[in-house]
Order: sequence, then C-alpha cells, then structure tokens
Amino acid sequence: MKQIITLTVNKEIYEIAVAPNRTLTQALREDLNLLGTKEGCGIGDCGACTVILDGRPVNSCLILAVQANGSEITTIEGVANGRDLHPLQEAFVEHGAIQCGFCTPGMVLSAKSLIEKNQNPTELEIREALSGNLCRCTGYQKIVEAVKIASENMKK
Amino acid sequence: MLLLPKFDYYEPREMSEALKLMSKMKTSAKIIAGGTDVLVNMKKGLISPKSLVNVARISELSDVEPSNGTISIGSGLIVEKLTEFDIIKKKLPILFKAARVLGSPLVRNRATIGGNIVTARPAADLPPALLAVDAKLKLVGAKSSREVSLDKFFIGPGQTVIKPTEILSRIIIKELPPFTGGDYIKLGHRNALEIAIVAVASRITLDSPDGVIKEARIILSAVAPKAIHAVSAEKALKGEKPTAKLFEKVAKLAAGDCAPITDIRGGAEYRRAMVAALTKKTLMNALNEAKGK
Repeated sequence: MKQIITLTVNKEIYEIAVAPNRTLTQALREDLNLLGTKEGCGIGDCGACTVILDGRPVNSCLILAVQANGSEITTIEGVANGRDLHPLQEAFVEHGAIQCGFCTPGMVLSAKSLIEKNQNPTELEIREALSGNLCRCTGYQKIVEAVKIASENMKK
Repeated sequence: MLLLPKFDYYEPREMSEALKLMSKMKTSAKIIAGGTDVLVNMKKGLISPKSLVNVARISELSDVEPSNGTISIGSGLIVEKLTEFDIIKKKLPILFKAARVLGSPLVRNRATIGGNIVTARPAADLPPALLAVDAKLKLVGAKSSREVSLDKFFIGPGQTVIKPTEILSRIIIKELPPFTGGDYIKLGHRNALEIAIVAVASRITLDSPDGVIKEARIILSAVAPKAIHAVSAEKALKGEKPTAKLFEKVAKLAAGDCAPITDIRGGAEYRRAMVAALTKKTLMNALNEAKGK
C-alpha cells in the first residue's frame, strides 16, 4: 500500500505517495523528475546515487523513500545558485574533472559535504571523503585537484 | 536497475511497539535500521521478508550513555557517529579505529553498530574490536530481556543466538583499566570500501607502565566462520613482560590458532602469514598505547 511522505528537496517541500519498496533514488528520479541523481550499482558500492540527507552524504539507492519521510535532501540540482555554478562545479568544469559525467553528481555532493565540515581539506582527506564514489573513466587525480582548488577558491 | 520485492512496512516509534510487531510476525519480518545490508540482500534476491520493521525512529536506540564505569551504546547509532563522539575516541580508541575503516563514508552515514553485529558477517569490522574489549549485548524480547557476552553471540556466518522475536538494543562495554592499549588493522586489496582479507584486533592491559601483561585479547577476523580468539597466543602473553621477541613468538602461535580458507580475496597460506604479521603489528601498537606513547 502506498504511503504519503513529505520530503524537503533542495529547499522545496514535496508530498508524494510511494510504495514501501521504492528507493529514495527512484522517488527522486521518477516521482520528482530530478534526473541528476544516478543509479549505478544499486547496492551501495559506486556512489552515483549520492545525495545529502539531513546533512550527511548517503547512498540513496539503499534508503527506502518511506525511511526518508520528513528529511531534508540536497541533490545535484540544488547545488548551483540559479544559473551560477557552485565553486565546486566550476572547478570540476575548469580543471577537467568531468569525463563521462555519470559519477559527477555524487562526487560533487560528497565533496560539498566535506568542504562544509572542513574548509582546508588535505589531499588525503579529499581522497577519503570521495572513497565511496567510483569513477570508471579513472579520472580521480583531476577530481581531487578540482576539490582542492574549489576549497581554496571558496576562501577568497 | 535493481528493484526491491514487495513487502509491508512498519515504523514503530517505541521499543514496546517494535517488540510487539516482532513477536507477532517472527521470521516473516526483518528488522531494518540503516538498510545497507538488508536492502542489498533483498535486491540480490537472497532474502525476501514479508515485512520490514524500521527501528531507526526509536530514539532510545541511538544514544551513547556513559554511566558508572560502563559505556552503553544504542544499537541504532550510525557508524560515523562512533567516530564523532569524544568518549569513544578517548575511552574506546580501538572501536574508533574499526569504525573508521568500515565500508565507505556513504555507508558509514547509514550503517549502524547493531546492524554490523547482528548480520554476523565473518569479515565485519566492528565485532573484532568489540570482542577485544569484552563487549556485552542487551537483547530485548516482548516479555523479558537478557545480556549475552559477544563471545557467545556468534554461531557462524549470518548466524547468531538472537531469537527472531528479540531486538539488540544496546552494546555495553566496561571501561577499560589504566595502562590499556589496543589496535585494529584490516588488510584489504585497497584502502577504501573493502572487505577484509584478514583483520586483527589486539588489546593488552599492563599492571604498570613498565610491568607485565595482565590481560590480553587477540581477535582474528576473516580467517574462520566467525571472528575468533587466538587462544594459545592470548595465553602466552599473560603474565609476561612485553617484548618484541615475545610478540614474534605470539604472532606465530596466532597463525596456528586460525583456520582460513582460500577464496576470491586471498589464499589460506597468505592469510595465515598475514595473521602473524598483523598480530605482531597490532600488539606493538597496543603496547605503545598502553604505555601512553
């Protein structure tokens, strides 16, 4: 039986009816039409489905939509300010940290969570924070560099 | 896309309500908290419970309570929070270390300490550290509750003594005596998002900073159907003065105490050799910590 849940996604409140066996990834993509959140492996290994849930980056493919009832969620669509890209997104574009782009929303959201907690992350801290996000184009070096540059730009 | 089978969903706010549900539905229901294990198994078709009972909204399950000489951790506490609480970092550094290497940051933000115990995976990260500090578990049923030492909890892969109608509510650890040190090292093929090839947790307590070993625990993980004590190695440490030579000898004993298998993650002989290497290394680090270095 479907249940009515309330999600605050990118500061907008949504009320939707979902069956218990739908994941948060499915609810975001199929009910809210927010297609920036990707599903890769579906079992919490790849991080393509990363969203920020109540302040913490999580795998949305391993969360039931009903479990997220009442939560505040940031998806990749909520990172830019209108047409102005977030410094992280800018750095990713500028410094070649995007290849096919499938892992990018998850990478940006994990990096955003890190930078909000730690304004001067070291390379090791960046690598640790991104360790749940896999890039199959193998572009990690550029991604780590972009996060470092963005963290520096954000202090200016 | 991996889809979940259909199930009924319950979300009790109170422990009593959750227990009532479990005593009614028994094995047809599964408890879910973080979901990082249950949902993976359901998506892979390994289990298909008729109902899921989400205990994540029972607030009493997710706190840490220090009280007269014990630390009591709610089973629903997420793993990342184990690394954030000062009391864990200071009083149970071995648990802090194990929590830091579990899964990925994304998994640690959902997975719970209780889930990492009740799923009883032979390579789980928290049980070795918890065994090294003699943790006890509080299992609550609708009519009665009981305390079981973690040493008596695991039966084999995925199997424990918990009844389908019981819920693991708390993990209880006695504060460790002075001059205690510990370490947990997990060996994987890479540094992140890894299941252990071998992992070792060691803890020693000295009678004084330069004295003899009063208590010793060496827990070997991923080299038997469940995490085990290196029995002869523990015995050989007791009452002895800690030296590199002693640790060398004890490491060899530990390698003989385990029964590893060959699988996709590593060969039995390699695992045995690594048990010796990690036992020695964790003991050296434990000794330094016990001496306050």
